[in-house]
Amino acid sequence: MLLSLIVLLPVVGAVLALVAGGRGERPDREPLVRAIALGTSLVVFAATLFLWWRFDPALADYQFVEKRAWMPAFGIEYHVGVDGISLLLIVLTGFLTPLALLSSWESVHKSVKAFSFFVLGLEAAMIGVFVSIDLFLFYVFWDAMLIPMYFLIGIWGYERRVYAAVKFILYTMAGSVLMLVAIIGLAWAYKEANGAPTFNLLALHGLTLTDQMESWFFLAFTLAFAIKVPLFPFHTWLPDAHVEAPTAGSVILAGVLLKMGTYGLLRFAFPLFPGAASSFAPVLAFLAVVGIVYGALVAMVQPDLKKLVAYSSVSHLGFVVLGLSAMNVQGVQGAVYQMLAHGVSTGGLFLIVGMLSDRRHTRLISEFGGLKGVAPRFVAAFLLVTLSSIALPGLNGFVGEFLILVGAFRWSPRLTVIAATGVILSAVYMLWMFQRVNYGPVTEKNRDMKDLTPREWAVLVPTIAIAILMGVAPGLFLKPMEPSVVKVIDRVNGSQPARVENREPRPFDRAQGRPEPVEGRPAAGEPPTANSEQRVR
Amino acid sequence: MTPYIAIIPIVAVMLSACASMIAEALRHPGERMPMAFFGLIGLVGAAVASVLMWDADAQSFGVVRSDNFALFINIVLCVVGVLTMLFSDEIVERENLPSGEYYALTLFAISGMMLMAAATDLLVIFLALEILSLSVYVLTGIRRASAAGAEAAFKYFLLGAFSSAFFLYGVAFAFAISGSTRLDEIGKALSSAGTGAPETMALLAVGLLAVGFAFKVSAVPFHMWTPDAYEGAPTIVTAFMSTGVKAAAFAAFVRVFLAPLEPLKDQWIPVLTVIAAATMILGTVVGVVQTNIKRMLAYSSIAHAGYLLLGIVATTDTGKAAVLFYLLAYAVSNLGALGIVALLGTSQHPHDELRDFAGLWRSRPGLAGLMTVFLLSLGGFPPLAGFIGKWYIFSAAVERGHYWLAIIGVLTSVVSVFFYLRIVVMMYMTEGTEIARPRVPLAAAAALALATAGVFYLGILPARIIDLARASIATIL
Repeated sequence: MLLSLIVLLPVVGAVLALVAGGRGERPDREPLVRAIALGTSLVVFAATLFLWWRFDPALADYQFVEKRAWMPAFGIEYHVGVDGISLLLIVLTGFLTPLALLSSWESVHKSVKAFSFFVLGLEAAMIGVFVSIDLFLFYVFWDAMLIPMYFLIGIWGYERRVYAAVKFILYTMAGSVLMLVAIIGLAWAYKEANGAPTFNLLALHGLTLTDQMESWFFLAFTLAFAIKVPLFPFHTWLPDAHVEAPTAGSVILAGVLLKMGTYGLLRFAFPLFPGAASSFAPVLAFLAVVGIVYGALVAMVQPDLKKLVAYSSVSHLGFVVLGLSAMNVQGVQGAVYQMLAHGVSTGGLFLIVGMLSDRRHTRLISEFGGLKGVAPRFVAAFLLVTLSSIALPGLNGFVGEFLILVGAFRWSPRLTVIAATGVILSAVYMLWMFQRVNYGPVTEKNRDMKDLTPREWAVLVPTIAIAILMGVAPGLFLKPMEPSVVKVIDRVNGSQPARVENREPRPFDRAQGRPEPVEGRPAAGEPPTANSEQRVR
Repeated sequence: MTPYIAIIPIVAVMLSACASMIAEALRHPGERMPMAFFGLIGLVGAAVASVLMWDADAQSFGVVRSDNFALFINIVLCVVGVLTMLFSDEIVERENLPSGEYYALTLFAISGMMLMAAATDLLVIFLALEILSLSVYVLTGIRRASAAGAEAAFKYFLLGAFSSAFFLYGVAFAFAISGSTRLDEIGKALSSAGTGAPETMALLAVGLLAVGFAFKVSAVPFHMWTPDAYEGAPTIVTAFMSTGVKAAAFAAFVRVFLAPLEPLKDQWIPVLTVIAAATMILGTVVGVVQTNIKRMLAYSSIAHAGYLLLGIVATTDTGKAAVLFYLLAYAVSNLGALGIVALLGTSQHPHDELRDFAGLWRSRPGLAGLMTVFLLSLGGFPPLAGFIGKWYIFSAAVERGHYWLAIIGVLTSVVSVFFYLRIVVMMYMTEGTEIARPRVPLAAAAALALATAGVFYLGILPARIIDLARASIATIL
């Protein structure tokens, strides 16, 4: 029940907010609507924390599973559950939504009830994506999520919002409809083998496909996810969407939506099609590395703060895909960790940029300068968030990037060397931006800049606190995800003994001495497992 | 009594049509008669009869068969009819349409559609086709003062008459090879012909019948009349014919092609595959450049005909059930969308241009919200009816390995989302000049509520309707 509750609560809150808003524009009802929306999102956050508390970190399987027939004729079920990979992403969603709502306290006054409705609706769909085990259910949430985001960008965005909104929805939809065809194809392939179609992810794991079909299906899934990530060269919708979206939209977009792409790769594309995944992994990794370097270089020359952060996301998510492509414990754990860390630090950056833009109504770096003397507390917070995005040791970004690079190095040193330049480049563009905005002489227009308001404290303090916590106590976050990560890796690598050597787990932060969960796997050079024999046929 | 059971729903609707005619004759000038109410009685009666007759497989005169398939279509047509009646109540008054003729023709058209879905004889199908076509031709031109309406009706009539001739010619060839116009006899004659190359006459029959049906469902290249007829007709008539005629024509299409003509499927599947692909592509691509909502939805209806053709091309049980489900999903979504367009129009200002919708969200948030729901359903977004419909149709295509058709289908539906969103952009993201828009009467509000409930019900809890659709196709072999 807990998971359904977490998915349904935001929907209830959304409808309540819409009803409480009354007919037409009612500024007098605004506080009530905001209170309902924020209250709902905080309750959802509390519920996600409760979920984490009750989650058994030692298990690799889905927990809190609910399963009901939905369309029995096609084996479609309402089937939800969480494992270590989705758990923290759900918590992240619960964490960022109240921040997004708080950040728009001052900047959004146009139809607050509709705004709250769409933000909460988006939250429900995002959590739905993370908890779905049934592929059909997953696709429903995946596609439904586009609508609220489209409205958030299109109604509350900046100047070119309509263009950005339409581009966002068409671009992402074009990718995902091909995945729909592949999902249908999978269900029918399952029917051919077993007599009845199913969309159950766990059942589909047991399906063997012809090599050709597996490749096509993998490509269809991966295209959908690569557009969402966004992986170079499918990233062109992202800068537009980010720049034009309102702060709340950008925070959610960067914080959660992009993770759905990498989550989808890890949850669906790789485990469902392990053979194709291993043959295409080098291509994905190559594109990821191109994205890391390209995103960083393009970010460097952006005159617009939001665009800079947007391109930095391309670069950071390149690391995630690189870690996933390596498919060893460090790489994948690092990738999941980086998803969370990026959600916090980029979410924080967009919140900061939103505050600047609220004050000055511009996002151009050249318009700022010397803020340090005017708003020192704001700049201090800005610095911490910037450093967490650069991946300074002791802050959240470092753990993920380090693990990814360790994992990737064991898989492909050459690519990793190139990827590592992204770490340096990120320091270059972020610090250069920070310097231009905050140091130097104070310009006339910035002289009256306000420092942080209590509401902004409430937004930034949790963000920075989490960033530090994730930096100094990574075990807290790595522990619950590890069994599930190992399970996925086993599933993907089951058919390739050549890479088994990469999988002896030596996660760098664990000294707990727990039994290694990977014992008993075939060593390199041994004959292929049963799984791969089926595959060859 | 027993031989008449199968036609009870048809008769119920016909009687209500006659009631409107009599009411019109007895009406004093200026007096308002609740004719929509007569229609509602007849339609609800027909729906109740259809539900009671479920699984009975009643047959009348050997040529009308109210099997579950026909009854499912009956229910779809009753939904179409009830929504049309509820919308029409106020609109007929407002637009000064001759109410007696309007209601009588609409109801006669529905009875023709029901007959078309239940007929098991090519000649009866032709008869039903003519009943519905003649009614709809007149309805298209019912605004006698409107030049556009007259042009639309004339075009529709000429091309429709032409297609009827094709159809009749096809019936003649079918009769020539089998000695009967009954579908089961034709099926027997064709399947006993052996596996060798089919006779030329059989191919001619299939080809000519396909042309006749393709006209009625507005498949490319026989779609030319659609945009003009849809644009010229009063909006409420557009709403009615885009959903009702499509449902009836597809019902007969499935009944003829997937039962008696199935032995020749190796010949007609390639042709219909090309037609389906061309219909989906043309409907969406040309839809993108339209600025008139009715024309835009006309092209969208062409595209939807293409999706429905996928269900026929699949030639499976999934395909047949998918067609039935899709027809219902399309009916509630499209009637809802066009109903809102009709409700916003007046006789001076039709409110059917894209720019008329600018700023609708500010002045009419409720209508704008519902319009968005219907358009998103047409575009195939979950959790709405259109999504399940499209998923079902594409499932049928993929099941038979028609991956390319499914891919064309999903990609064209992305393109179609672009033009549905153009309306949404207008409503929400464009400031508009304030124009006087009439208020929504109670009956129409009920219709909108019904359509919205349908869109969400079919989108979120479709299992029951899917089961009914699957149970409806047993008699179509």
